[in-house]
Amino acid sequence: MLDFQRQAWQAYAEGQSGLIHAPTGSGKTLAAWGGAVNELIAQDSSGGGLSMLWITPLRALAADTCRALNRPLEGLRMPDAVALRTGDTSAYRRKKLLEQPPPALVTTPESLSLMLSYADGSKRMSRLKAVFIDEWHELMSSKRGVLLQLSLARLRALNPGLKVWGLSATIGNLDDALAGLLTADEQDVDRPGLCIQGRIDRPIEIDTLLPDSVERFPLAGRMGLPQLRAVVDRIEQSDSTLVFTNTRNQAENWFGAIQSVSTEPETIALHHGSIDRELRDLAEQGLAGGRLKCVVATSSLDLGVDFSPVDQVIQIGSPKGIARLIQRAGRAGHQPGGCARIVCVPTHALEIIELAAVRNRLWQGKVEAREPVRLALDVLAQHLVTIALGGGFEPDRMFDEVRTSPAFSDLSRQQWQWTLDFITRGGPALEAYPNFHKVERVDGRMRVTDRRIGMLHRLNIGTITADGALQVRFVKGAALGQVEERFITRLRPGERFIFAGRSLELVRVRDMTAYVRKASSKKATVPSWAGGRMPLSTLLADGMLALFDEYVAGCAHPTPESESIAPLIALQQRASAMPGRGHLLIEQLQSRDGAHWFVYPFAGRLAHEGLAALLAFRISRLQPVTFSITVNDYGIELLSAKAIELEAADWRDVLTIDHLTDDIEHSLDAANMAKYRFRDIARVAGMVQQGFPGRGKPVRHLQASSGLIFDVLKQHDPDHLLLEQARREVLESQLELGRIRAALERAAEQRLMIRRPERLTPLAFPLWADRLRSQLSSEDWQTRVDRMLGQLETAAGVSSR
Amino acid sequence: MKLRLHSVELQLLPERAVWWPARKLLIVADVHLGKDQVFRRHGVSIPDGVLRHELDALDALLANHAAEKLLVLGDWVHAPPADGDAWPDIVLDWRKRYAQLHIELVLGNHDRALSGWLQRWKIACIGASFMLDGLMLVHAVDAEKETLPAGLSGHWHPAARLRSGREKLRLPAFALRDQHLILPSFGRFTGGMDGLDRQGWQLLAVAGQRIVAVS
Repeated sequence: MLDFQRQAWQAYAEGQSGLIHAPTGSGKTLAAWGGAVNELIAQDSSGGGLSMLWITPLRALAADTCRALNRPLEGLRMPDAVALRTGDTSAYRRKKLLEQPPPALVTTPESLSLMLSYADGSKRMSRLKAVFIDEWHELMSSKRGVLLQLSLARLRALNPGLKVWGLSATIGNLDDALAGLLTADEQDVDRPGLCIQGRIDRPIEIDTLLPDSVERFPLAGRMGLPQLRAVVDRIEQSDSTLVFTNTRNQAENWFGAIQSVSTEPETIALHHGSIDRELRDLAEQGLAGGRLKCVVATSSLDLGVDFSPVDQVIQIGSPKGIARLIQRAGRAGHQPGGCARIVCVPTHALEIIELAAVRNRLWQGKVEAREPVRLALDVLAQHLVTIALGGGFEPDRMFDEVRTSPAFSDLSRQQWQWTLDFITRGGPALEAYPNFHKVERVDGRMRVTDRRIGMLHRLNIGTITADGALQVRFVKGAALGQVEERFITRLRPGERFIFAGRSLELVRVRDMTAYVRKASSKKATVPSWAGGRMPLSTLLADGMLALFDEYVAGCAHPTPESESIAPLIALQQRASAMPGRGHLLIEQLQSRDGAHWFVYPFAGRLAHEGLAALLAFRISRLQPVTFSITVNDYGIELLSAKAIELEAADWRDVLTIDHLTDDIEHSLDAANMAKYRFRDIARVAGMVQQGFPGRGKPVRHLQASSGLIFDVLKQHDPDHLLLEQARREVLESQLELGRIRAALERAAEQRLMIRRPERLTPLAFPLWADRLRSQLSSEDWQTRVDRMLGQLETAAGVSSR
Repeated sequence: MKLRLHSVELQLLPERAVWWPARKLLIVADVHLGKDQVFRRHGVSIPDGVLRHELDALDALLANHAAEKLLVLGDWVHAPPADGDAWPDIVLDWRKRYAQLHIELVLGNHDRALSGWLQRWKIACIGASFMLDGLMLVHAVDAEKETLPAGLSGHWHPAARLRSGREKLRLPAFALRDQHLILPSFGRFTGGMDGLDRQGWQLLAVAGQRIVAVS
C-alpha cells in the first residue's frame, strides 16, 4: 500500500472530507475507496440501505468503475456490493435498485439528480455515509459540477456527517477544487478538508516529430497531413498506438489518411465523442486485445479507468494546454516509476515553438487552472423543481441549504426570490404569467403536483445539452453515432459525407435521426463539430512569450524544437521583431489584398475574437472603415481596403481598458450571441423541451425554439434574469472577457513595438492564409441587414414590389 | 408584391397575409392563439404579452385594408381553451370591435373541440377545404407532392434562411410553386420550417416592410 493511500484511509476513518489528486493509473481509486471498504465491512452486519455513492462524469466510465470498486469487496463475502445506475440502466433494473438498494452505487451527476426527484428519494439517501466524485477536475468548471454541488448540499442536509471525497488529476488551482467539494462555511471551521497528494506525475518525455527543414514546412494549416508518412512509420514500428487529435474533424481526416497508406488498414480504428458507444467500445477493446494497432481519438479517450495502456501516444498538433498533454501522455505504458512518452506532431511551423513552450512549462511543473462556475440560476431553477418533485421543500430552509454549496455562497435574497418566482409563478410580475403552473405551495412546502410536469421535468434533468444532435443510422438499422443538426441540415438527400471513418450518403432525416447508406465514392465532406477547438491556454501563451524573450536574448535552453525553428525566428527578427513579455508587437503592411494591421497579444483564439472586434470597433470610431477580421491563437489581423494610419498614441487609445464591457457589447453582435447562448440556458431551466436522438420529438404542442422564447422574453419581460445570465455567459465563457481584460492590462504596461515589414512575416502569414473573415463596420445592424438583402436580391435577380 | 394565381389577382403583404382585392378578402394562416397559455400550463413560463401582440398585429392588418372578410387558413388557436383560461375572453373582446367583419375558418389540425367558442367568437367554420374562383383553400398540402392544385394553404410555417459572411438571418416566408402558395404563419410565437426551397419551392421572405424573393 502506498503512503498517500494510507493517509487517505486514515482521514476517511476520522470522518474527514477532502480531495485526492494524483495522475491517472496511480492508485487514486483505491486511495479513495479503501476507507469506504473498511466502513462497508464494519456495517455489513447492521445491513440495509445505500451508504456509498460514487459519481463519475461519464456514463461510459461507469461500468469499468463499478468493476474496479467491486474488486476489493469480492474476497470479503460482499459480491456485487457496488451496483450501477446511469441513464443507460433499464427501467426494470432501476426499480430493482430502488426496492433493494445495494450498499454502494456508481452513478452520474444527472442520475443522482433524477434519484432526488422521486418522492422517496430523500428517504433512500438518508443513510449515506460518503460520496466520492471521480474526475472532479472535469466537473468543477462546468454546470454539471454546479448541479452536483446542489445535490451534495441536499445529501448533506439529509446526512449531517456525510463525507465527500473528490478525485482529481493535477490542476493549477487545487484549492478551488477542494473548496468546491466542501460546504461554503466548512472551509475555515472545524473540518477544513484535506488535500492529499498522490504520487507525483511521472516524468513526461516529449518527442517532437520535427520536419526535415523548417523552411519547407508549412506556416499555416491545421491538419498536419504533410507529416503523415513519418507518423505512419511510427505506428508501424509499435504494437499499439493512440493518436490523439484536437478536433473530431481532424480525427476523421487523419483516420482516413492513415488507413489509406497503411499496409494493414483493418487494424486502425476511430474513436470520438460523436461515434456510437458500441463502436467506441469495440475500438477500445480491439486496442487492448491486440486486434488493433492504432486508434485515432479525440478527447473522448482523455478519461477512462480501465483503459489498458498503449506502447505509444502520438499527439497531432499542439495540445494547447499542459493539463491535456499530461493526461494524454498518461495513456502510454502505465508501469509505475517509468516515464510517459508522447510523440508530438506539429501541424505548422509555429506550433514547433508551442511545443517548445509545452516542454518548458513541464519542466517548471506548471499546470492550468480550472475556473469554477458560479451563480448559474438556470441550474438552480432546475434543481429546485427536482427537489419540489422529490418531496418538496420549505423555502427559507432551502435558501440556507443552497447557500452552503460553494457555487451559490454569494446568492442574494433577490436572486433567490427571482428563481423561486420563476418556478412558482413564471416570473416576478404575477399578472404577466396567468395560470402558470409548475411548482406550487402546498401546506408551506413547495411541490410539483401535476404528474405531466413532473414527467417532463425528469426527461429534461441534466445540464449537458445534446444540442440539436441527430443520430446517424443506417437505413437498415445499425447506429453510427451523432452529428450536429447544423451540419446535416446543410446536406440534401443523396449528398455524401464522411462519418465514423465511412463514406456515407444521406437518405433522409426523420425524427431526430439521419438515415444513411454506404456511399460508393470516397469524395465527401467531413462534418465540423462545434466547439471542437480549444484556445491556447494562458499558461502556454505566456510560455511562448517567455521563450521568445530567451531566443532574442540568446539564453534559450537548447532543445530540438528551438534548433529546428531558429531559421524562422531569425527571419521574423530580420523582417520585423519577435513578440515578447515586455512589448506588444504590431505590424503594418500593404499587400494586394489591401492594408493590414497585425497585432500579437498572445491571448488565445477566443479572446482574440472579442479583442479584434473591439479594436476594429474603436478604430472605426476614429475614422469610418470596414475591416475584415482574422484571428488565431497568437494574434489578430485587421484588413481594410484603404490604409488606416495609426501612431503609437492612437494605439494606446484603442487598447485602453476603459469602457471595455460596453465597447465589447457594441462591437460584437452581443445580442445575437446571447440569443445563441440562451439555448443551453433555456434547456437547463426547463423552458425548452429537449428532443432525444432516436426517440422522436417530445410533446409536439410544447415545441418552441429557444430563439423564439428569447425574443418573447426580451419583448415582454426584459428584466428576466436568465437573459442577463445569457449575456454574462457570452462575455465570460464565450469571449473570455477575463483574458481580454488581462491582455489589455498587460498592453498598458507594455512598450508598443510598431513595425512596418515589406511583406508578410512568419507570424503574419498564418493569419493571412487562415482568413476566416467577419465583417465589422460602423454601419448599424439594420443597414447591414438591408445591404445583405440587397446583395441577395441582386443575386437572385428578382425585384420586390 | 403582386401575384396572379389561376388568373386571380392577389397581393402578398409584409404583414404575413394575402389581400384578395376583387373580393375584399384578407387571408392569414396559423395564428396559434393561446399558445403561450398552453406553455404556462405545462410549466414553461412564457409571458402573456404574446396574445396581446398577436391581436395588435391583426388590428394593424385590418386597419390597412378595407376588408369585408377575414379568412383563416387553419390553426386559429394552438389548443382548445381550458377551464380558467382568460385568453378566449380577451379574443372575444377583440372580436366585438369588428362587428361588420366576417371571419371564416378552414379547420386546421390544431382547431379541435372549438365549436362553442367559434360560435361565441362569431367565426364561421367552413370545413377542411373549399373552392373560390378556381382556387382551392385548404389548411395543409403535402409539400413534397409533385403536382398541387392551384390555391392557398398554411400549416408549414415556411421560413427562409439568409446568410452573408458571418451574419445569419431567418425570416418568415411565403412559399410558391406552380400555382400554389403557402402562407407564412401569422402568429409571432410560432417557429418556422426552412428547407422548402430544397423541395422546389420559391421562397418569398418577409423582410421588415418588404417581400424579397430569396431562392
